[in-house]
Order: sequence, then structure tokens, then C-alpha cells
Amino acid sequence: MGVMADRLAAGVGTLADTREFGLWMASEQKRIFLLCRRMLDDSEDADSATQDAFLKAWQALKRPEFNDIVDPHKWVTRIAINTCLDRLRSRRWQFWRKRPNPIEETAILQLEPSGAPDASDQLFAKQISVRLDGALKKLSLKQRAAFTLRHYEDRSLAEIAEILGLNVGTVKVHLFRATEKLREELHDLYFREGRK
Amino acid sequence: MNHWTEIDFEHWLYGLKEQDPHLNECPDCRQEMERLVRERQGITAQPQVSHEFLAAQRRAIYRRLEERPHSRVAMRWVLSAAMLLVMLFGFTIQRWRHPGQSISDEQLFSDLAAMDQRAEPAAIQPIHGLFQQ
Repeated sequence: MGVMADRLAAGVGTLADTREFGLWMASEQKRIFLLCRRMLDDSEDADSATQDAFLKAWQALKRPEFNDIVDPHKWVTRIAINTCLDRLRSRRWQFWRKRPNPIEETAILQLEPSGAPDASDQLFAKQISVRLDGALKKLSLKQRAAFTLRHYEDRSLAEIAEILGLNVGTVKVHLFRATEKLREELHDLYFREGRK
Repeated sequence: MNHWTEIDFEHWLYGLKEQDPHLNECPDCRQEMERLVRERQGITAQPQVSHEFLAAQRRAIYRRLEERPHSRVAMRWVLSAAMLLVMLFGFTIQRWRHPGQSISDEQLFSDLAAMDQRAEPAAIQPIHGLFQQ
């Protein structure tokens, strides 16, 4: 958690300060963008959703009736997830929506993880990431959100439940169904032949 | 005790299965679990995002923060009103270019007089046809 987030959590009341908000935003921005990118599978849409999420956070902080935030990290994650879910719901009607441009996507995002040790690992990670992104589309919105938070952000079931506003049992069901649907992709991910 | 299956490991990775004592007792399963954890760290490591992109995104957010809160809503209303005006203008032009066919007063009076002189309305004629042999 960043300095700003700590101050926010402490309820210092400087949240409404643009500079403080900017520092906090910068500390969370990449994570939130990647979360949106994984949920929406489109960098342009994720960019717009990230902007919306921080704008909503700012507007919420400006409200006089706004209460102290217990965990700003989780709070902004919830805003981002809800923004993405709204977009995914409205996307169902947008049959004219253009497909993401792969050249633009590459310019924004280098899909290989920064810590990958060698080229074959990087290539594998890239391939699996593309396949997993495709497979995530087969999931329901809640399943996708639960799986993304678990798989990419390594959140506990309790945290996922809090972010999605569900109980732990329901999250477990969503995750169970998600892993059932993704079994083929996940099997490839972890249980490759001859790979140690 | 049986070894963990791939599904057991998969469920454990996703928080759907509790860690049981077998993992502590069985070196093979423990080793597999450690391998899966390493594998997962490699796969889910955050990709790099270009700094220029993030900076541009921050600038866009700041721009939007400075906007009046309702200016976007107001803009939607302005656009809707403009659209309505364009449609109204188009409709008016259409009417002006293709006026409806009007009949002269003389023709109108003549038609009315003809109707008045008939014993029964013209619309009843088809009914007569039904009774004719």
C-alpha cells in the first residue's frame, strides 16, 4: 500500500487534495489498469475503465457524506471491478464494437512477465496468457471477476467476497465453476508434459 | 494415503481445497505443490506497461478531474437536442420539396355536390352486389 493509501486509510482527510490523490493514483494505476485489461481483454477499453474508476473514486471522496476508507487498495479494486462488470454488461448490446487492434495492444503492453528468466518461459507465458484471455470470455461475469482476482491478484476467498459484495460460499461456487470451465486451459498452464 | 490428483492441486491453487496433512507427509506431493507455486508466480507476474501510456492515462484522468462534474451529462443533452433539430430540419425540407397533392376549391365543391345528390353513400354499393342474382 502506498503512502497516500496509508494516509487515506488513516482518514487524514487529504484525499480531496489533488496532489495527494495523484500520488496514490500513481501507486495503484498500473495494477488497476492490468486488472481492467484482464477483465475486458481490450487495452483501449481498459484504459477508459481505469480512468472511470479513478474518477469515481475522486468523486466519492469529494462527497461530504463520504466515510473513512478502511482499505483504499481494496476499495479502488471494487470500484474498478464494478466499472468493468458494467462495461461487460453493456458490451453485450454493442454488436458494432470494433475488435481491439493487436498493434496498439502490443505498443501498450508487453505480455511477457518482467521477471521471466528465459526466452522459452517468456514465450510460454505469452502463449498461455493469450489463450487464457480467450478462455475467460467463456465465463459468466461474476465467474470472470472471481477468477481474475484469484488467479492474477492472488486474493483470498474472503477478500474476493468483500470486493464483489458476495459471501464466501458464493465465491467458492463461482471459482469452482470457473475452474471447471477452464480445466483444459489450466491443465496446460500447470501440468505440461516434460516440463520441470 | 492416496496422492493428490491434478484436480486436487488445481483446487488447492484456487483456494477450493484446504491443505491436508498428506502434503506434509508425502515428499512427492509437496514437491509438486512447490513446483506449481513457482509455475504460477511465473505465469501471473505482471506484464510491463509502457511508461508513456501510463503518463498519458494520468494526464487524461487529471483533465477529467478538472472538468465540471456535469459537463458530460450536459454535453449528452446538447447532442440529443442537436440531433432532434437536424431531424426536424430534414422533415421540414422533405415536406417543402414534396408538398401533398392539393385539389382546387372548384373540384372540392363539385365532389361534395355529387355526394349530396346520391340517395345513399358510395360505400354501400358493394353490399348491393351481394344480393344481385
